[in-house]
Amino acid sequence: MTGAGTLLAIPSEPSAVPAPRRARSPLKAAMLLVGGVGLVLMLLPLLMTGYISTIADSVLAFPPDGHSLSWYARLGEFPKFGQALGTSLRIAAMATIGSLAIGIPASIALVRHRFPGRGVLNVLLLSPLTVPGVVIGLALYVLMVEVEIRSEVPMIGSDAMLVLAHLLITIPWVVRLCVANLMQLDRAIEEAAANLGASPRQVLWKVTLPMMRQGIVAAGLFAFIISFENIELTLFLISPGVITLPIAVLQYLEYRADPLVAAVVMVQTAVIALLLVLLDRYVRLSKVV
Amino acid sequence: MSTRPPYLKIEALSKHYGSMAAVDEVSLEVAAGEMVVLLGPSGCGKTTTLRLIAGFVEASAGRILLEGRDYAGLPPYQREMGMVFQSYALFPHMTVAQNISFGLRMRKMPAAQIASRLEEVLALVKLEKMADRYPKQLSGGQQQRVALARALAIRPKLLLLDEPLSNLDANLRQEVAREIRRLQRAAGLTALMVTHDQDEAMAMADRLVVMDRGRVQQVGPQEALYEAPENPFVARFIGHSNLLRGTLRDGCRLRLGEGVEAQLAQRYNLAGDATLALRPERIRLLPPGDPTPARMTLAVEDATYVGAHVEYLLALPGGGSLILHQPTTGLAGAARLAPGSRAGLSWDAGSERIFDASDRALAAAGPAPALASV
Repeated sequence: MTGAGTLLAIPSEPSAVPAPRRARSPLKAAMLLVGGVGLVLMLLPLLMTGYISTIADSVLAFPPDGHSLSWYARLGEFPKFGQALGTSLRIAAMATIGSLAIGIPASIALVRHRFPGRGVLNVLLLSPLTVPGVVIGLALYVLMVEVEIRSEVPMIGSDAMLVLAHLLITIPWVVRLCVANLMQLDRAIEEAAANLGASPRQVLWKVTLPMMRQGIVAAGLFAFIISFENIELTLFLISPGVITLPIAVLQYLEYRADPLVAAVVMVQTAVIALLLVLLDRYVRLSKVV
Repeated sequence: MSTRPPYLKIEALSKHYGSMAAVDEVSLEVAAGEMVVLLGPSGCGKTTTLRLIAGFVEASAGRILLEGRDYAGLPPYQREMGMVFQSYALFPHMTVAQNISFGLRMRKMPAAQIASRLEEVLALVKLEKMADRYPKQLSGGQQQRVALARALAIRPKLLLLDEPLSNLDANLRQEVAREIRRLQRAAGLTALMVTHDQDEAMAMADRLVVMDRGRVQQVGPQEALYEAPENPFVARFIGHSNLLRGTLRDGCRLRLGEGVEAQLAQRYNLAGDATLALRPERIRLLPPGDPTPARMTLAVEDATYVGAHVEYLLALPGGGSLILHQPTTGLAGAARLAPGSRAGLSWDAGSERIFDASDRALAAAGPAPALASV
């Protein structure tokens, strides 16, 4: 704060400094207001859910009769939610790895190479985004039933099918984010590597992929979240044994509307938050997204 | 010149994009240890030429021979050429030391040898204390030195420099230019540099190659390009030249327009359209009362004192202006010619350059007959 002290000590026209500040302050206040409203709107559902999860009554009513954390204690009585959370995490992890394995090479090919069918591939990889998830889910369901009838191999409800279906909606995000990331990387850096004696394979592993790290992490994060929270596509492809968490919540809500679901959601949010914190230790997330 | 084959030989190198020739039959010979600068306006093909040599672009035609070996079809990573990129192109995820040793690691050099080479190169560019920093923690000038060190570390067969100074502050440029030259000379490297900046090119080159629209316009040392440009483009691009178009009569009278004629200092075997090139500082302004006969008389439009010289603008027939630089040495107190007054101009035989209708420079056939005093 010595700088401010020095400034104050200088006997210059005192009106010169506050004038522009006053002119700017309404704009600043407006921006703060908009930012604040945005933040509240984003946090409100979570805060509400948290609040509801502490209501003691089994029927939601306002004002509530009392508060307790008993719903969290009762979570153990519903192993279905635990299983569903496990399924969701498992499917999302596999879909993430799968979509990165396909999406990263595809992005590099799309951005760095010119080949016949490049435009078609680009459209093909991004097109699932333009089709509603319900439609994709239904189409896949019909297809799988047909294949099951003909081949007698059980498909619906298997992890593999669920992951493949999720790949359809996660790959477009991975490709989109990786392409954006690659486009802003200076092509000359890869040329410099080649110039210094790196073969195309060495350029890829030692320069291109390490430079894409932030894009890849962002893509992985998006893929995971897209898969984890998906309902409309997943709805058609589950079986009694294999249910993801959002579907388990949906099914529970069909019969009861008590604060237990809110507790489930809070636990789920905590799990995701924990994963993000762990991830942040490796890559600064604020720089990625 | 010895009969030894040149170190680098480029033969009719061309690169076509569709029907457009980005590089059009460029031929060039470079001796070992020489620094040759490719100079030209943007889009003249100089950078593409450099990229063809580095192997990033495949030639449509022509050959690149280094030490007699044909480099056609050789991928960039087998060419052993060290390139300094305009954007520096440092690896952002590697430290200075890792950047510089990258090429050595690619060559599978033993670790001990890499360490000693790294130390040597770091000392050369005076970055010993920055070895563990990342590129983004360095200033522009320091990044530039890392880029240079990285290219030097592999002891390249050819050093390629693509606009190496263009991203530096103006006050750093001269210093870095001298530094590059020092390192290139010390290592005995043959270097090819690309720039659009004439001063930079003049300051750094052993020889210059002026390019325009994909073609080589002229090759030579600074003095040859300045004193004897082979076409109007070079005359205007290297330094400044007034280009006066007119009709040549009697071999030594160039009619520029209504009532304006230039009496040339030399005689040329040509009649018809011609272009006269005159450098602003090589034209003398005859003071009123000077007995020297004027070669041309024009009206003064404007005169500006700019320190080393007074810049005169003189009206040409047809609307253009002739620029003349009158040195201020020994001019103190002398009256400047006011706008509107008529000024007699003169120049020496060696200062005029005549180009024919197809822009080829003409050799003088002899001195012109002496001018009669006015």
